[in-house]
Amino acid sequence: MPETATAQVITITRILDAPRELVWRAWTEPEQLARWWGTRGWSTPPERITMEVRPGGSFRLTSVCDEDGRTMATEAVYLEVVEPERLSFSEAPREDCHEGAVGTVSLTALGDGRTEMVFHSTIQTTGELGGNAQAGLERAFDRLAEHLS
Amino acid sequence: MAVDQLSTTFAALADPTRRAILARLAEGEATVNQLAEPFPITVQAVSKHLKVLERAGLIMRGRSAQLRPSRLHGEALKEAADWLARYRRFWEDRFDRLDEHLRELQRRPGDA
Repeated sequence: MPETATAQVITITRILDAPRELVWRAWTEPEQLARWWGTRGWSTPPERITMEVRPGGSFRLTSVCDEDGRTMATEAVYLEVVEPERLSFSEAPREDCHEGAVGTVSLTALGDGRTEMVFHSTIQTTGELGGNAQAGLERAFDRLAEHLS
Repeated sequence: MAVDQLSTTFAALADPTRRAILARLAEGEATVNQLAEPFPITVQAVSKHLKVLERAGLIMRGRSAQLRPSRLHGEALKEAADWLARYRRFWEDRFDRLDEHLRELQRRPGDA
């Protein structure tokens, strides 16, 4: 079978009960990102986050598993930075996950103190890598289920 | 094996004409001629797309040599959707935390 990468797209829309400037900061300041980034059970210390929030700037972070200290690195480059409404970044291929992904965050102030956040991700996967990601995520969810029971 | 199947499924789904064909088949089975009608492409081209979809396990085709009506086969589509659902959940989980974080931040503005 040819090793063709195909693109998958997901879009997630959230209405956040916070002004747009605050949501922007949550995405662009290490101390803020550290408070929410990562799957439950994993922490992302601010000192392990690098954010050069400008087009071409680097967006790197390392998440640490609370349970056993394993780490997971994310490396991306900012493509578009339009404060405070749009941020896009290109994630480098990850061995265990995908062949690269482009994420775009669009923020719209709703005028009542709330913000609409639309997250759009285009993921490149090859069959093998997609399968690994699937297996990896399944393991993660198994662990989560064990942890909760 | 399952992984190769998933890859073939995604590759098949990557084409807009094939997705349109699947959408049409979601309404019920159809022959190649019926499927070709709404598209500005030849019956031969549609036939090629059907072969890709069949290989990907997304459709099944009747045995009758003349008409060979196609119909949706849900299993492969479900597997592909499940994979994406997991990736989506990965992000949904993050955004749940973001939501919580933003609420907390506003309860204690001095902390922002």
